[in-house]
Amino acid sequence: MNPDKPRRQLGGELVIPVLAIVFTLYFFSTIWNSPWTAQVSAFAVGSILLLVCAMFILRCILSIRSGEGSLGFATLFSREDLATGRIGLLITTVGFCVLIEWLGFTLTTFLFLSISMIILAKGKRPVFIAAVSAAMALGGWAVFIWAFDTRFPRGWFETTMKAVLSNG
Amino acid sequence: MGETSAILVEVFFETLSFWWVIIPTIFLGLIVGGIPGFSAANTIIILMPLTLAMTLQTGLVFMVTLYCSARMGAGIPAILVNIPGTAGAAATPLDGYPMAKQGKGQQALAISFVSSSIGGLLTTLVALATMPILARVGFYMHSVEMIVVMLFGISLIASIASQDMLKGLIAGFLGLMIGSIGTDVVYATPRGTFGFLELYDGVPLIPALVGLFAVSEAFVIIEKRVIVAKEGGAVKGSWTDTFDGVRIALSRWWHIIWTSIIGLIIGVIPGAGASIASFVAYQQSRSFSKTPELYGSGHPEGLIAPESANNGVTSGTLVPLLVLGIPGGATAAIMLVVMQFHGVSFGPSLFESQPKIGYGMFMAMAVAYLLMFFTILPLSRYMSHVTTVPTIYLAPMIISFTLVGGFVPREYMFDMYLALGFGLLGYIARRTGYHVAAILIGIILGPLLERYFLLALKKSDGDISTLFSSNLGNVLWVGLVLSLVLPIYFGRRRKQKVIPT
Repeated sequence: MNPDKPRRQLGGELVIPVLAIVFTLYFFSTIWNSPWTAQVSAFAVGSILLLVCAMFILRCILSIRSGEGSLGFATLFSREDLATGRIGLLITTVGFCVLIEWLGFTLTTFLFLSISMIILAKGKRPVFIAAVSAAMALGGWAVFIWAFDTRFPRGWFETTMKAVLSNG
Repeated sequence: MGETSAILVEVFFETLSFWWVIIPTIFLGLIVGGIPGFSAANTIIILMPLTLAMTLQTGLVFMVTLYCSARMGAGIPAILVNIPGTAGAAATPLDGYPMAKQGKGQQALAISFVSSSIGGLLTTLVALATMPILARVGFYMHSVEMIVVMLFGISLIASIASQDMLKGLIAGFLGLMIGSIGTDVVYATPRGTFGFLELYDGVPLIPALVGLFAVSEAFVIIEKRVIVAKEGGAVKGSWTDTFDGVRIALSRWWHIIWTSIIGLIIGVIPGAGASIASFVAYQQSRSFSKTPELYGSGHPEGLIAPESANNGVTSGTLVPLLVLGIPGGATAAIMLVVMQFHGVSFGPSLFESQPKIGYGMFMAMAVAYLLMFFTILPLSRYMSHVTTVPTIYLAPMIISFTLVGGFVPREYMFDMYLALGFGLLGYIARRTGYHVAAILIGIILGPLLERYFLLALKKSDGDISTLFSSNLGNVLWVGLVLSLVLPIYFGRRRKQKVIPT
């Protein structure tokens, strides 16, 4: 092993196989007493998935034992995630999904775009960001809700605008 | 024959006079095709009152143009920001996006537009000429044959997995497992649904697509200031790149022809579709390429294959609709409803009783592809600038508009959370070297493969040898094995030839 070569961070690479194993075992538990038609395909695919995951985990163990890899998670999480605003973007995305049911598409999109862009831009150019966000949110409302009556989540703004426009 | 030719010429010029409908519809199609969740089918449903109010011919021209342009539009975000607008464009970013990252977005768009237009135009003409034969293809495709067609698509996982076989197989089989969520097709037993009623019909495709591609990509691109990689060079924005793209696509004319024919044949089969066609075409293109190692790194042929094939599907789906009255897909089914509203009855007699309607639909498609070529191609120069928009603005826009697109098809808030969940899965996969396309292939093709597999077993009382019981099926099995084995053989021969030199 070359001591200068950084060790491969295998912890992050193991997340998907571990998720796959847990999900497959859960899936098997839901079909254990089901008719064969519900089982045949899932057992075939799931067994192969478990096998390839086991092979991958074995490969990782061998790599760690030989000193080429470590159980680090640097490929998945790092300080960069905070610095780039990724964690902030994740929080605003969850907020977008929660709020859109109550506030409707236009207002939630405006809030989400403004806050996310300000986080990613590290607070620079707030007026420009607010203008871009407003233009995008209103543009989305005009095209998808007003013009095409698409089934977007509706809230106070959409209801008010509908009343205003229908009453001339 | 002479009479038919006269009708075709007359219908062609008549359709051309509808340019005022076709051109705005092309742009509408580009928009709805480019945003996940807004398929042509959804848009035609939304605009159905308008379509029914139009004359039959105007309505047909509108629907057909929207169908074609939405198909082409789905490839634009797939190339520029790695987000396929529909599942039919899921194979497009495999080579399109690497080109965009190298600063060749304009070239990639031109290649995509040329191969889509020529593929669509060519298959329309082939469909027109061979309609009676093509219409019968659906009759010969039973569950056994469909299993092999699905396996043709699924074998793409093996190609994607070539860089790290274990990781590729884990991603592909995880996708197949996720695709098994929902009730089984025979007894409707719920499986792996985590208790969510919303998953009883299976994992909805659009939230999976939005999450795996759009949301995860948005979280990844914020690491860079713009999408174009530094080493890729700046986007020049001159016409040269567009002409280069046209030249590259035209120089591979044979590739466009045979991959679009794959799309046409798969399009004719009811229940198959553009996603299967594009995966199969990409896999076959890679299998028989002299440079398979270039696929996935921004190879023009890897972009031409799925784009030609998914546009070949559009004309294919019209064949069973017009000749047999069996819609080949969701959009064709809606066209059927609109045409029946206007009193048009389908079947072979359509071409005798109302030849202008029957041939008119194909002509509308041909004219739409012709006009698309000239109207969209110049736009590639301007569209490619999306890759230069700072990611701090682009990423939140991608997330908000695509997540809402995930909500639209079923109107369940659950689907937005599901898209977010798939986004996290896609992000983990991207950061740790698993291919999201392999997961998506599994999710799309897994349920279809299971359905046909169970149907075949039910029909044969559980006899597995039924998989080899049909002549056409056996021919397809041989084709599948050859398509997997021959590339390995040719690859070894090429290596042996290179070593002595």
